[in-house]
Amino acid sequence: MKLLTATFLFGSLWLALITGMHGKLNLKWFAIRAPGVSTTEKYKIGFLPVTCHLTCPVTDFINKETTGDGIFEPVRFNGWPELKEAYLSGYTPATFILAPMAIALREQGVPIKIVYLGHRDGSAVMVHKDSKIYRMEDLRGKKVAVPNRYSNQRLLIFRALKQAGMTVKDIELVEMPPPDMPAALYSKAVDAISSGEPFMAQTELDGYGRVLWLTKDVWPNFISCVLAVHEDMIKNDRAAVQKLVDGIASSGKWLDEKMDHRMDAAQFVSKNYYNQHPRLLTFVLSKPPDRVKYTNLALRKADFEEIEELGKDAGIVTGSARFEDYTDVSFVPDESLVKPYVFEGVGKP
Amino acid sequence: MNKSLRGTLLPVLTAFFFLALWHVLVKLSGSDLFPTPLDVAKGIQELFEKGLLLKYIVASLFRVSWGFMLAVVVGVPLGLALGWFRPAYEALNPMIQIMRPISPIAWIPVAILWFGIDDTAPVFLIFLASVFPITVSSMAAVQNMQLVYLRAAQNFGVQGSQLFRRVILPAALPQIITGIRIALGIAWLVVVAAEMIAVNSGLGYLIIDARNAGKRYDLVVAGMVMIGLIGLVLDLLVRQLEKFDEVRWGYGQR
Repeated sequence: MKLLTATFLFGSLWLALITGMHGKLNLKWFAIRAPGVSTTEKYKIGFLPVTCHLTCPVTDFINKETTGDGIFEPVRFNGWPELKEAYLSGYTPATFILAPMAIALREQGVPIKIVYLGHRDGSAVMVHKDSKIYRMEDLRGKKVAVPNRYSNQRLLIFRALKQAGMTVKDIELVEMPPPDMPAALYSKAVDAISSGEPFMAQTELDGYGRVLWLTKDVWPNFISCVLAVHEDMIKNDRAAVQKLVDGIASSGKWLDEKMDHRMDAAQFVSKNYYNQHPRLLTFVLSKPPDRVKYTNLALRKADFEEIEELGKDAGIVTGSARFEDYTDVSFVPDESLVKPYVFEGVGKP
Repeated sequence: MNKSLRGTLLPVLTAFFFLALWHVLVKLSGSDLFPTPLDVAKGIQELFEKGLLLKYIVASLFRVSWGFMLAVVVGVPLGLALGWFRPAYEALNPMIQIMRPISPIAWIPVAILWFGIDDTAPVFLIFLASVFPITVSSMAAVQNMQLVYLRAAQNFGVQGSQLFRRVILPAALPQIITGIRIALGIAWLVVVAAEMIAVNSGLGYLIIDARNAGKRYDLVVAGMVMIGLIGLVLDLLVRQLEKFDEVRWGYGQR
């Protein structure tokens, strides 16, 4: 049959062509590997392009620059559900994840252990600059966006409401992916937004957002994201987990050591990992300098118990898992002994 | 005005009018978030200069080609079989009708859990989106075939595989091809949802990634424009199938 032969021939040729081109352009099939670079499979680690996860790309970049090889392969996700599912499928044995989400997963029987923190602080509540909202009380009856049911930003709102003598019934909470929040605030579809940076700072940079408060002002040492690994990884390769934690600790120290380091990180992370404008990360990491912090990342029981309590109020955890169940503190290095990476960066752009 | 000139001039004028309207509306809104057509053109140029445009187009076409090809290979024979064998139809049709309305977005978690986050998961989602329309149209094509063809052929003693190849398939082809055309449209439509999974290339990924990048709505719209334009080209290509004699034969009956 002429038609069948023609479509079969054209179809096969097209598939061969497009597969070859995809292999060449996107999968680097025909790339010649540089000598000395190891070809062994590295552990994949999930992260989102938010400042809460900044130590992940920083560790990878510094390792590649200094030793020519990363200790793991960072995999960027665009939302929490996909990141969580990739972890559950075993694709990423290690991941940066929301603390309450990790606790809830543990309660549901997922073999996950928190081994280190990702950051401290680094969130905010933003309102439109034209709005008349200046205090928590002004949010009464207003629409407030949070990233995910399991986000610490949601708990943050619960905590702030409690401090103001209000309850969640006094406001209208909506869930929304952080990248959509700036546009929602701009169009006044919501009255206030809260998520990890840099999405909050972006509204400030673009001139229509105003900080209601930064997390450091209402919940000092706030944690939203933690580094969690699969129990099997701990069982089978303790050394790799330790190397990962040490790397994160060293890059955290490096980031907080000098403003120059932060500015340098803003450049290389925006360009190579986040695909955001460097101006944005520069802003978040410097205005004010303690908007987000990367030191003091040890796992403290009291911090997590507070999250557990708030999580119970918010109906996302049951309280059936204790600190000892969902964490493994044995990898946490002594903060005073952690050495920052020796890396003077790639210089100014 | 002669007909062919009108055939090109009219759509070009309409498009120009639409672009002008778009520009004016953005300017009137006073927003600097929403891009004008010129911003979008600059965005496309920027992607081209960075070498990303070709990479992303190839990645999306790769996923759609494989997903769609698998859907044709599975869907057409399955549809023909279901259209021909009544008990098979009765057994499977309800199941197909249940699966058909489920959005590929709903399948994303399942796809990640089954296939991880490399190219397999998006290919699976595109396959799912296009296999049902193809199956259903092939099935209907056989069921709605004019019995006159069948009886005439049987009177001449045509039987078995010959009957299938020489009579049933040609009679059903026009409708199958219409189904395939619609399914290709759907497959291409699903590329944004399919690339929400953590793949790091493709036009759908471009849109999701640009949302992340702060105020880059020019790139979001650039991705939309590229998807639209390529969709148009794909449809023109599939329509070439209708020019084959075997297919014209079926159309000629009307």
